[in-house]
Amino acid sequence: MSAIDTQPQTPVVVDNYLNHTKGVLSWALTLDHKRIGVMYTISVLLSFFLGGMFALLVRTELIAPGEGFLTQDQYNQAFSLHGAIMVFLVIIPSVPAALGNFIMPIMLGAKDVAFPRLNLFSYYLWVFGAIFFVVAMFTGSLDTGWTFYTPYSIDTDSAMSGVIPALTGAFILGFSSIFTGMNFIVTIHRLRPPGMTWFRMPLFLWAIYATALIQVLATPVLGITLLLLIMERAFGIGIFNPALGGDPVLYQHFFWFYSHPAVYIMILPGMGIISELIAVHSHKHICGYKFIAFSSVAIAIFGFLVWGHHMFVSGQSPLLNAIFSAITFSVSIPSAVKMFNWLATLYKGSISLNTPMLYALSFMFIFAIGGLTGLHLGTLATDVHLHDTYFVVAHFHYVMMGSALIAMIGGLHHWWPKITGKMYNENLGRLGCILVFVGFNTTFLPQFVLGSQGMPRRYHDYSNFLPEQVELYATYHMWSSIGSYIMAVGFFLTAGYLIHSLFAGRRAPANPWGGRSLEWQCASPPPYDNFAVTPSVGDCYDFSVLEWDEKEQGYRINEEARRKQAYPGEVADRSGAEKLDGD
Amino acid sequence: MISALATNMFAQAPQRSFWMPIEASKFAREMDFVFYFITWLSVFFFVLIVGIMIFFMVRYRRRSHIANVPCFTHNTPLELTWTIIPLIMVIAIFYVGMKGYVKLRQPPIGAYTVNVTGAKWQWSFSYPDNEGITDDFLYVPVDRPVRLVMKSDDVLHSMFIPVFRVKQDVVPGRYTDLWFEATEPGEYDVICAEYCGTGHSTMTTRVFVLSEEDFELKMAEIRLRFEKAPDQDLPWMAFTYLYSRCMSCHSLDGTDGIGPSWRGLWDRTKKGETVFTDGSTLSELTGAGKMFATPEDYLYRSILYPQEKIRENYPGSMPTFKGLLRERQIDAIVHLLKGLDDYVDANGTWIGPVPEPPAENTDGAKE
Repeated sequence: MSAIDTQPQTPVVVDNYLNHTKGVLSWALTLDHKRIGVMYTISVLLSFFLGGMFALLVRTELIAPGEGFLTQDQYNQAFSLHGAIMVFLVIIPSVPAALGNFIMPIMLGAKDVAFPRLNLFSYYLWVFGAIFFVVAMFTGSLDTGWTFYTPYSIDTDSAMSGVIPALTGAFILGFSSIFTGMNFIVTIHRLRPPGMTWFRMPLFLWAIYATALIQVLATPVLGITLLLLIMERAFGIGIFNPALGGDPVLYQHFFWFYSHPAVYIMILPGMGIISELIAVHSHKHICGYKFIAFSSVAIAIFGFLVWGHHMFVSGQSPLLNAIFSAITFSVSIPSAVKMFNWLATLYKGSISLNTPMLYALSFMFIFAIGGLTGLHLGTLATDVHLHDTYFVVAHFHYVMMGSALIAMIGGLHHWWPKITGKMYNENLGRLGCILVFVGFNTTFLPQFVLGSQGMPRRYHDYSNFLPEQVELYATYHMWSSIGSYIMAVGFFLTAGYLIHSLFAGRRAPANPWGGRSLEWQCASPPPYDNFAVTPSVGDCYDFSVLEWDEKEQGYRINEEARRKQAYPGEVADRSGAEKLDGD
Repeated sequence: MISALATNMFAQAPQRSFWMPIEASKFAREMDFVFYFITWLSVFFFVLIVGIMIFFMVRYRRRSHIANVPCFTHNTPLELTWTIIPLIMVIAIFYVGMKGYVKLRQPPIGAYTVNVTGAKWQWSFSYPDNEGITDDFLYVPVDRPVRLVMKSDDVLHSMFIPVFRVKQDVVPGRYTDLWFEATEPGEYDVICAEYCGTGHSTMTTRVFVLSEEDFELKMAEIRLRFEKAPDQDLPWMAFTYLYSRCMSCHSLDGTDGIGPSWRGLWDRTKKGETVFTDGSTLSELTGAGKMFATPEDYLYRSILYPQEKIRENYPGSMPTFKGLLRERQIDAIVHLLKGLDDYVDANGTWIGPVPEPPAENTDGAKE
């Protein structure tokens, strides 16, 4: 934080949100969505570092068969904390709360979110939730996996005593997420400036909006479930514990009723980012705007009806399994629609292979694999074999890490100049992206084969199997671990040049990429109240009015071209044009 | 290595493929067909999407700062095409997957039943059609439908046999089942696939698919295991093979269950201190010409006729084991009870002598 405060003076000192007020309290008590967004981003990235360390522990333990350097219990803690931290502290808040907080109001043309105080409260709820996770880590630890399946998690003799702190943390984080979602829904409904109609909103906002709907509707179910679980563990109320007449499978229903939609909380905002990145860095109008917008909403709605596909072998009735399988396939269609539209957007574009775009293209590659392997798991006959194996592990890492997080990192690079006012080293950026991409695929592609060959997940050691299986698993596990180290190098490099750019980066122009949505019309970094002059709301994917400014090393809107476009010919119907242009 | 081994043992043994382990059940073949169907469709679409993407990346890479070529921004027929084609595709996938699954969930009538118990962290299999003998390994006859009826003693487990392509969670508080028809004799992995705590990754065992004759021989061997064992091994065998059927009522650490703990039981019996629900004590009933000739006789009869004399303060809900245990098995339990303090510590861990070599070492599909 102080690093940003004490920026070396830029040639012209312009009032912006970073230097508007000074001091720790001006950050800690800020109501500015941009500062809250920055605090979220830093917190989320720190959690990502922590979760990543646990991942490296897991991968290092598995690099060879036999007892590694972790005991069984330590290994179980490592994967549980990796999962819980990555899901609850990193991926769920990464795009909506961190990037969304910063970008969404500016993109919309608003001065702030609808409820700035609630926004700050959400952030502190996140911090409290995170503290409970740290408490769980240090007092007795957590070894239930991030899913807290009953009756293991309520068995005080076996499951470690960090369960209740961790559940409390997840419960609090849930409220942080609900408040952010509420805030964003109201902001998008009420604070659109004149001219910003629903169908002029950038697709990122559609995605954020669909996400917010899920956050508000699904997260309360998680809250209640976790409370029930705490009650069950502390007082034995007998709702999930079979020994007291409860049903452990009921917990799975409750849990996945939230946690499946939560998968879309993670991926939808990522898809929104990709829609922006692909269009902006190809300088081409996004293809099939309405199809993409509605596919986000469709995914949000269908996402509520498919939770049972996590439970095909749980003892759920075959009829239910068939229904859930059928509905699951319906979610694949809107995802496919997005993919094809992104492809069509690239067609005849002017594709800049800079860092954000490389991340976007990596996303398409990785999400194609993540999405297509979802077909194997949605299919009943094949899921029976693949469930709870490394195939599933690989699949959800392709979607949650390779897609959602890669999109987040891509978005971070895309908006980094806007957020910090600095440009990072482009060549190192590309190198970092390539390392992450190669490392990611080396880590997780072998895991598909591991899984289909029968390697179960959450195994501390795989030397108990038949010798020929152990030999096979060892090869793939070794490659997977090597990949994770490559990925780690990529992420450390990325962290390095990003931090370096804060001190020594070139001053960022207002519009380095040639974006057309509103955030590129305010200065970098944005002024305290976002826009010095009321921005003009046009078609946010029409790049034809942009021109390159050699002096600024950035793009600017050619006012003449914009006017010509807004009022085509002198005889045009002015009132109609006014409506179109909106200012 | 596997191929060499397999060829020696069985002519034309199936091979592991790149994606899938050996196909050793009827369902495995069907499942693999579905798997490869989806996989090749996926490969096709992946190559299509990524191929086009890379082509565009190269063909349309940026050459100047402004190159916004006006182009179509939407095209409804195109949109409908790439909505409807995937839709038809997934309906087809759903159909083939559903068809296979329906079969998997319908065990044929008359399937050979094996009862399975999952407990932290081991599997135990009992064969009701073979005197209820139990073992840590699963033995199944080839070419005959086998149904596993499964329960859990503690937390969730999941029975997973990769070569049969079957998996089913084992849930405390209910029975679940699965079935398969093994087609390839051999030895394969049996895995717990649902996380169950500290020792989760040790909860593995093996399934031996045997020809009908070998299977019967194996069953007989297990049935007669006690007959063949030397006397000094009996307590260990009772602890290893029989106690799992007693443990739900009789603890080893002295805590009361539905029945009295085994800890201290022999001490009490020897001294005749046991008091029954009718007020009589064991010492009054023991001796020549009385109900029990010796204290050992009391233990013996309590297993065969548990309702004769019920200990005070206990519900007397023990079933008879007459016909379920052989003489020598009862003998083994009595020996275990008598020497319990020397054999098993308070945590239920075996501390007595272990037979050499362990009885299971020579088990195998074929010798």
